[in-house]
Amino acid sequence: MTTVDPQSLDNTYDDAAHRTPLVLGGLDYEGVTDTACGFWEANSAPKVWWILLGLAISLLMLLGGLIQHLLFSGVGVWGNNNPAYWGWPIVNFVFWVGIGHAGTLISAILFLFRQNWRTSINRAAEAMTIFAVVCAGTFPGIHIGRVWVFYWLFPIPTEHLAMWPNFRSPLLWDVFAVSTYATVSLLFWYMGMVPDIATFRDRSKSKIGKIIYGLLSLGWTGSARNWHRYEIAYTLLAALATPLVLSVHTIVSFDFAVSQVPGWHTTIFPPYFVAGAIFSGFAMVVTLLVPARELLGLKELITLRHLENMNKIIMATGLMVGTAYGIEFFIAWYSGVTWEAFAFWNRAFGNYWWAYWIMVSCNVLIPQLFWFKWCRTTPWFMVIVCIFVNIGMWFERFVITITSLCRDFLPSSWAYFAPTWVDLGMLVGSFGLFFTLFLLFCRFMPVIAMAEVKGIMPRDHH
Amino acid sequence: MAEKSSNESKEQKLVGLLAQFDDPETLVHACNEARESGYIKMDAYSPFPVHGIDPAIGIKRSILPLIVLSIALGAVVLGMGLQLYANGQDTAWPFPGYKFLISGKPIFSIPANIPVTFEIIVLSSAFATFFGMWILNKLPRLSNPLHRVSRFKRVTNDKFFLLLESADEKFNRSGSESQLKGWGAVSIDEVNQDLTDNELPKWLTTVGILGAILLMLPPAAIFSQWGQTNRHPRLHVVPDMDWQHKSKTQTVAANLSNELDGVRMMYNDLRSARRPVDGAIALGSLDIDSELNYGIKSDFAYTITSGGNALTGVAGSQGEKKEDTGAITVPAEQENIEKYVTTFPENFELTQEVLDRGQQRFEIYCAACHGYAGAGNGLVNQRAMALAATGGATWTSARSLHDVDVKDDAKNPVGRIYDTITNGRNNMGPYKAQIPVNDRWAIVAYVKALQETGIQSDTPVVEDK
Repeated sequence: MTTVDPQSLDNTYDDAAHRTPLVLGGLDYEGVTDTACGFWEANSAPKVWWILLGLAISLLMLLGGLIQHLLFSGVGVWGNNNPAYWGWPIVNFVFWVGIGHAGTLISAILFLFRQNWRTSINRAAEAMTIFAVVCAGTFPGIHIGRVWVFYWLFPIPTEHLAMWPNFRSPLLWDVFAVSTYATVSLLFWYMGMVPDIATFRDRSKSKIGKIIYGLLSLGWTGSARNWHRYEIAYTLLAALATPLVLSVHTIVSFDFAVSQVPGWHTTIFPPYFVAGAIFSGFAMVVTLLVPARELLGLKELITLRHLENMNKIIMATGLMVGTAYGIEFFIAWYSGVTWEAFAFWNRAFGNYWWAYWIMVSCNVLIPQLFWFKWCRTTPWFMVIVCIFVNIGMWFERFVITITSLCRDFLPSSWAYFAPTWVDLGMLVGSFGLFFTLFLLFCRFMPVIAMAEVKGIMPRDHH
Repeated sequence: MAEKSSNESKEQKLVGLLAQFDDPETLVHACNEARESGYIKMDAYSPFPVHGIDPAIGIKRSILPLIVLSIALGAVVLGMGLQLYANGQDTAWPFPGYKFLISGKPIFSIPANIPVTFEIIVLSSAFATFFGMWILNKLPRLSNPLHRVSRFKRVTNDKFFLLLESADEKFNRSGSESQLKGWGAVSIDEVNQDLTDNELPKWLTTVGILGAILLMLPPAAIFSQWGQTNRHPRLHVVPDMDWQHKSKTQTVAANLSNELDGVRMMYNDLRSARRPVDGAIALGSLDIDSELNYGIKSDFAYTITSGGNALTGVAGSQGEKKEDTGAITVPAEQENIEKYVTTFPENFELTQEVLDRGQQRFEIYCAACHGYAGAGNGLVNQRAMALAATGGATWTSARSLHDVDVKDDAKNPVGRIYDTITNGRNNMGPYKAQIPVNDRWAIVAYVKALQETGIQSDTPVVEDK
């Protein structure tokens, strides 16, 4: 260990004699704290951060303006129209809620499997989950038309309405699943952050910082008795979040699968949606973390090995998604159902053939590059691949939603869906919301789970 | 938080001795030593959970999992109960449920209620875990004497601490300090609690009382109205679609003003809708082709203006008002036979298909009275005549289409037959509302064809099939 130059250490190679280090640069406990807090402790953020934040906020304002336009004019400003009443808002919803899944997978499922490499990326991934769910929740929220009576979604006893939600509707399951997911993710994220916020409290130099981080850290001292219950709680939350994350996209897929529309009414949807969600989520984590580790100076904590592991998961889930595409076609043929067979023929060769083949190229073909080690260990290259994956996964939701609705049972009611500029603006604007939140998080919150990273460091490091 | 560490107040109480260690192994070792020396009231502090510390200071396993389990089991009942209450019944007090009957499926069916139940279990369990953990840890705690030790700031960074509390029976100011040194402590600090901190600031009491009074106001206002009557309508934050400023057709216009301060109508004539402007013609009602639409030669067609509306009309058809009073036959006004067209109109093309269509329409609309062969002996006519014979009804027999007068092209040209179908004649009612223009002409064509055949047989004309 001592003879190796830490800068040149590449931890993507496995050495049977040693456990591969996950923290590079010869950092000790304090080194980890200093590195992780470096960006936060800097007196002023670098110019790049300000430029990115300005860009993100202007897109966020675009989203806000368009939502206002929508509220005052009605949902007619979207391209949603007979027969495609589920247009881009639902496509964007499924896209964003899928993105969120990688965060929970990293924080909960990899925790239960004792995958130590999760520690330096889990905080950022969990934050990404929360912000993606915020974006996701926005779309069905404004899609309900009369937004001011959104509370009808919840089982609130009202005398004048004299109605209750229909608890057997997948759309209501969705309300419960997504709101539970957002709440549990937020609790998990915040609880995991408390020891690190305590670090911020103890290192903060400004009075305001001391008060805010002091309140947020809830008086955390790192007492062994507290750690004991904290670790049990963390494991319990992980155990709760694991079935939850699988249930969320399953229920999202029920929105489609429980209907009778050809191309939707299939039992493969739940596993296929979950695999796709993890696929797109990891792609988004890589897209975010590669620039973030440069900007925040976290290369020694978020190492190439972390990125490579995520790329392997992307490739694995990409293959699952590809298999699901194939099986869908097989079942469409094997079922002998005319409508089903037509729905899939129509996806690949109908009037939306271009969307289908964008989806297949981005989701199935391009991730195959990760078979090559160079591709999955070269940061700039993997970002390009991951952006393609995100494009592909957006198109997957587009293909599922739009092609099935535009050509269902009755040829007389077929039509071609055309989005409006508001649709496009809202999709772009939702990225503004997402990146605004993420950039603020990078600057003001602990991006690295310092306590967890220290817990997995080999003892000969100090 | 640790600003006041330089406070020299004498009102201090020794909480314990805080020893610093540089690595987790030494900390665990020191904890073991302390436990073996008989210390019970102590705690270790570290930047991350240290392996093996629980047995070293004798921490018993937390009951948190049991709390979460019991909450989760309760959530099963809550989740199912909520759905049963909301969708499974519609009589319970105070808020009746609402039964959704969907495709004849059972009102309450477990499989469809699983997803929501599952989410409620997870949500409740997560809350139980999160809040249970903080409550068991006695957090949040916003003031802690430990934070007055400046060295303790590094507990969230890279240093490890052991606190021996002064409340412990074994504790001894100098003895404990030397013990800690022996176990490898790098430095030792006294932890003192500033007792003046325990007093509430005086302003807080005042603010608290004022706040409590203010918080009582809304419920007091609500309860003061309990059981009272009120002339004002109920306050709806979101009025939904209960009241809308719209006027329904054929009603008096909406009153735009608040009900309590008089009446202010939308239009002075009290109508809810405006009348069409002069010359407006309803969509699809443009009927300038007098020959086709009325069976009347264009020379005789004229435009009348009545009530501000221009209506393309035809003399006679506008003026003739038939009394619909059973058998009383009103003598027809002197009729100008000249005005009726004697040939089929230009815009009506007579083909075999049209003739077939005419037969079909005839057998639907006309044959009931006039009979399938047009002999005036349809079933309705037969029954009505039978009733009329016993005084059970008043009825004028339907005309046979084979009557000489009816067949006579001079007395009854095609235009007049068309007019008869359109506006009715004598006791026969008008059919313009039931039969479109082209179908009426098709019937006229079929009637002429029937008359040509001369067949008066009562049996339906059956085509070769």
